[in-house]
Amino acid sequence: MSIAARAAFVMIPLLSLVFVLWTAASVPLPASIQAAWVPALGVNFNFHIDGLSLLMLLMITGVGTAVFVYAGGYLEGHPQQNRLYILLTLFMFAMIGCVTADNLIVLFLFWEMTSLLSFMLVGFNHEDASSRKSAQQALVVTGSGGLALLAGAILLGQVMGTYSIQEIISRVPGTEPSTALTTALLLILLGAFTKSAQFPFHFWLPNAMSAPTPVSAYLHSATMVKLGVYLVARLDPGFGDWPLWQWTLQIVGSITAAWGMLLALRERDLKRILAWSTVATLGTLVMLVGMDGQGATVAVGALLLAHALYKAPLFFVAGNVDHGTGTRIIDQLGNLRHAMPWTAAAALLAGFSMAGVPLSFGYVVKDVITEAKTVSDVLEFANVANTIFGAVAVAVAAVAAVRIFWRHPGHNDTPEAHEGGLTLVGPPLVLAFIGVVLGLFPFLADWLVGVASQAMSPRAEAVAVHFAVHAGPGFLSLLMTLLVGVAVFWFWDPLHRLFDRWASRFDAISMVTNYDRFIQGIPRLAALSTRALQHGSLPGYSLLIVAFMSAFMGVILVAGWHHWVWPDWVDPTAGFVVACLLTAAGGVLAVLQRDRFVLLLAAGLVGFGSAIFFTYTGAPDVAYTQLVVESVFVIVVASVLLNLKKRGMGMGHERIVTSRWALPVAVVFGGVLTLWMLVAVGGAFDPALTQFFAEKSVPDAHGRNVVNVILVDFRALDTLGEITVVMLSFMAALPLLQAVRVYMRRNKPGTNVPPGDQA
Amino acid sequence: MNKRVVILESISVPLYWVILAASVWVLLRGHNEPGGGFIGGLVAVSASILWAFARNSDAATCRLPLQSPLRLAAVGIALASASGIPAFWLGAPYLTHIWGVLPLGFTEVAVSTVMIFDLGVYLTVWGALAGYALALLSFGESDDGGHATEGGDA
Repeated sequence: MSIAARAAFVMIPLLSLVFVLWTAASVPLPASIQAAWVPALGVNFNFHIDGLSLLMLLMITGVGTAVFVYAGGYLEGHPQQNRLYILLTLFMFAMIGCVTADNLIVLFLFWEMTSLLSFMLVGFNHEDASSRKSAQQALVVTGSGGLALLAGAILLGQVMGTYSIQEIISRVPGTEPSTALTTALLLILLGAFTKSAQFPFHFWLPNAMSAPTPVSAYLHSATMVKLGVYLVARLDPGFGDWPLWQWTLQIVGSITAAWGMLLALRERDLKRILAWSTVATLGTLVMLVGMDGQGATVAVGALLLAHALYKAPLFFVAGNVDHGTGTRIIDQLGNLRHAMPWTAAAALLAGFSMAGVPLSFGYVVKDVITEAKTVSDVLEFANVANTIFGAVAVAVAAVAAVRIFWRHPGHNDTPEAHEGGLTLVGPPLVLAFIGVVLGLFPFLADWLVGVASQAMSPRAEAVAVHFAVHAGPGFLSLLMTLLVGVAVFWFWDPLHRLFDRWASRFDAISMVTNYDRFIQGIPRLAALSTRALQHGSLPGYSLLIVAFMSAFMGVILVAGWHHWVWPDWVDPTAGFVVACLLTAAGGVLAVLQRDRFVLLLAAGLVGFGSAIFFTYTGAPDVAYTQLVVESVFVIVVASVLLNLKKRGMGMGHERIVTSRWALPVAVVFGGVLTLWMLVAVGGAFDPALTQFFAEKSVPDAHGRNVVNVILVDFRALDTLGEITVVMLSFMAALPLLQAVRVYMRRNKPGTNVPPGDQA
Repeated sequence: MNKRVVILESISVPLYWVILAASVWVLLRGHNEPGGGFIGGLVAVSASILWAFARNSDAATCRLPLQSPLRLAAVGIALASASGIPAFWLGAPYLTHIWGVLPLGFTEVAVSTVMIFDLGVYLTVWGALAGYALALLSFGESDDGGHATEGGDA
């Protein structure tokens, strides 16, 4: 791609960023936009932009700009760079839609778009089998979660009577918890947890690292995986007081934070180490949302911002190292500061923030988290998890920033290491530099984090956030965390071996193994059901269908037996008797005859009998249609049968093979259907619809034939659907029919008649 | 049907148009009397089948409007879908039908988007079902346009 084309793509997030900043400066928050889409279902394009959306929007467009610039250098000369840019652009808009949508269903649509685009971006190198597998894994996990989210969103909308998120969160606190509401809540949490890679769905995120680095930095660190956190933070004002909500978020978040960080110790690949620390950060965010109190919402906002500002640069650093040395395995890297000075600088700046070294923005955030925990009641368990998270985060930051650039216990295997161009070192340096500025002058973030936390606790009074560099209450504990972290860093390799040996014992029951088992089980289950149900035997199919219908209708009949009403005796008319005789004769003939041609005529007799029956029961339209369909059917099938007969084909088996279940099933089906008809006729007839159509047909639709008026006017959309199905079925059958035709022409009669079949 | 039957072949020409005219009549009267696009389409299918019997199924396919059952059905769907669009100009939901009167001087004809919709149904049913029937009928035919006299006594 030419420089101009790349620059044009970079303009998209850049202009969006400018637009977001301009909107934030000129429009009072929260702002909302309404547009009707499907008002009948309550699904509308309603957008609501408040502080939380603004924070997300800034991350999406800001980090997006950096990612777009970076992708230009990282995939320079890649033949499919334009595909990457197009997918990234689509993804950016899907994200923007997701964080501004106020309608749950619209949010779900954008949510699914991000899942699909993540699938395509993770599988960007689609010729690599492991990329394809990772992409599939990401899609299966987040896609199933998306389905749970849809179910939860519909349920929540039904219970609350609206799909508007703002209305729901203002109504929920006054609503009694019911089973439906709890189910909806759990389903939505399932969707959020899969998206944000919370335990036990944590495994897909590190595997998604097979995506190109710009994708990892954008989707799997800064934006998409934060959607789950965004959703729970969005709903927190409504459900925040529920113990179930608080407990679930705190427990799941804590487990993810601690376990994710520990799993980082098992890895040797820099990108995967960073990915696990992202998982752990997401866990911490979920845990913070689960805590109540003003401080927690401030901490969520601050950590969201800080994480975007230090993790994206670190991913860029990992990408630069990969780009410059050809490997990301930390055992082979060391002393890269000479070869890659600018990357080293970016890594150091971002690493300070991640570790929470004083005078960095990460330090401010850690201070806020400690403060938040002191004012709200937190599980002891969450405290432990947070300590582990903090300590290993320091070590991970040191691995990414110090180990590969300064100190290295072994030797460096990459003599060819070289620095990337401006597009590669610029984005991480700028993002990390913003982090440093915010660390030195934290009051710059006051307003942004303030409006974000205001959005997460709208019922509280205005949130005044005053970040300042000072020795807060948690200074000592932070210092302790730093020291423990440095110790973990120092003994990284022995700890790695120790933990790896210990953790490998659980590999057999790990989620990755379970996932693989699940995926391998699908074809096995499909084969099983195909063998049992799709055996290809037509008599078998009809037997199964008829048996199922008999059982289904029979159960309903038996269940409602005390409502049975027998119909009154009505003296039959002559036409009625003739119709019944014809139909019965056709039926009896069909049972006794084996010749297919006669069978067809017998079936036609049943059809014509029904047509006469309809004529005498006031349904001339149905009778008319039945007559024409029956004629066309009999003529066409008869001519096909005759042709087959000429070729000695299609005459069926010489010996009649009938399942021993056929007779009982047929008898039961006939009995159930007869009983059903009798009971249906005997029951009271509700004339509401008849009256409605009789009254409305002429004045509203200018037609006296009610059947036709219903078809073309009152229910025209249904008819449109039906004729579309008619055409689609023909389109589907056409290749099959043509194949048969070609086959028949190749085997002309007389040339290929099997011996013995000849008359 | 591979042998030529001269009487059938000759009589099929006027009969084809008579059946089609009947099908259109069924279509047009449908709104007030028994009939409509669905039945009309089925009657039209029988005209195509008659043509296939009199000559062969490929000839019947060529006799169809647009020379292709699939195209015919697609045009039907397009007409039926398009008939709902004028409702938007009145701000009504999709497929709200509009009625008007077309003065012809000596008489007046009621026109409506319903007619277009029903015509779409008619064409779709004709196209798709005639396509099925003609494809099935073609199985027994040979390649040479139906003039071969083989078969029938194998």
